[in-house]
Amino acid sequence: MNKFVKFGLPALTLALLGAGWWLGLAWAPPDREMGEVQRIMYVHVPLQWMAMMAMFINFVAAVTYLMRQSWKTDAMAEASAEVGLLFGTLGMITGSIWGRPTWGVYWSWDPRLTSEAILLVSYTGYLVLRRFVEDPEKRAVWSAVVAIIGAINLPIVWFSVRWWRSLHQVQSSPKTVDPQMVLPLRVSAFGMLALLILFMVHRYRIALAERKAEVALPEALPTDDPALRASHSSKVA
Amino acid sequence: MTSLTSLMLLAQVGSGRLQGGWGYVWACYGISVAAFVLYSASLWARRPRATDSKE
Repeated sequence: MNKFVKFGLPALTLALLGAGWWLGLAWAPPDREMGEVQRIMYVHVPLQWMAMMAMFINFVAAVTYLMRQSWKTDAMAEASAEVGLLFGTLGMITGSIWGRPTWGVYWSWDPRLTSEAILLVSYTGYLVLRRFVEDPEKRAVWSAVVAIIGAINLPIVWFSVRWWRSLHQVQSSPKTVDPQMVLPLRVSAFGMLALLILFMVHRYRIALAERKAEVALPEALPTDDPALRASHSSKVA
Repeated sequence: MTSLTSLMLLAQVGSGRLQGGWGYVWACYGISVAAFVLYSASLWARRPRATDSKE
């Protein structure tokens, strides 16, 4: 494995997340109205950003797989869906905890929360589908289709706070936020990005190794070579 | 009239700042760190073994 991935990336992740969270918890001022509770932003918002990014990568990998079939893009789709689901679930949990002191409830059927819940359920379904289908080629094609359908919800989640103004606040911008809050948020977001890349690299290696083990019988299953793949696909069925 | 309505609405919102709440903050960071540690452990447990990592 690449030395940077093995040692450099974990060190970078710890340094950025440690610095970002320290800045957010100890250096940034409390919010004018939410007080100390607002410090949840430095973990909740980066989690949600990275979840959306991972799910978008899943969409791109799914489209790429359908255009040019390769176990590498299938492995990337699997890795991004699992890591995206982890970050999205944590984003929802932290958001729910944030909601209790500010909204008075852990959960509300607000458009943002509801669309996010549907998103998480659809990616859970995507991963369940991958577990249930044994044929790697059928699994890759079917899950790619499900991933593309599931990705329709991504812009709905993102724009829901603008389309239906309700309980969840709209996205802030550096112009509307205190600079002392912007810096910790940015550092935390880059730390979370490093963690996302780290998790995805390792999960990708696992998925690719599984695909290679499954296609170890070259006569039984297709390969990455389009010509060989075409000739093998007829034998799979 | 509009400004009066706005003022009445603002009066319902109230003013002031939430007091305390560090428990919620620590819960969020703690749950996230715990989940990351558990997921890292799951990745380590599922890592490709030497025999099947001929990439």
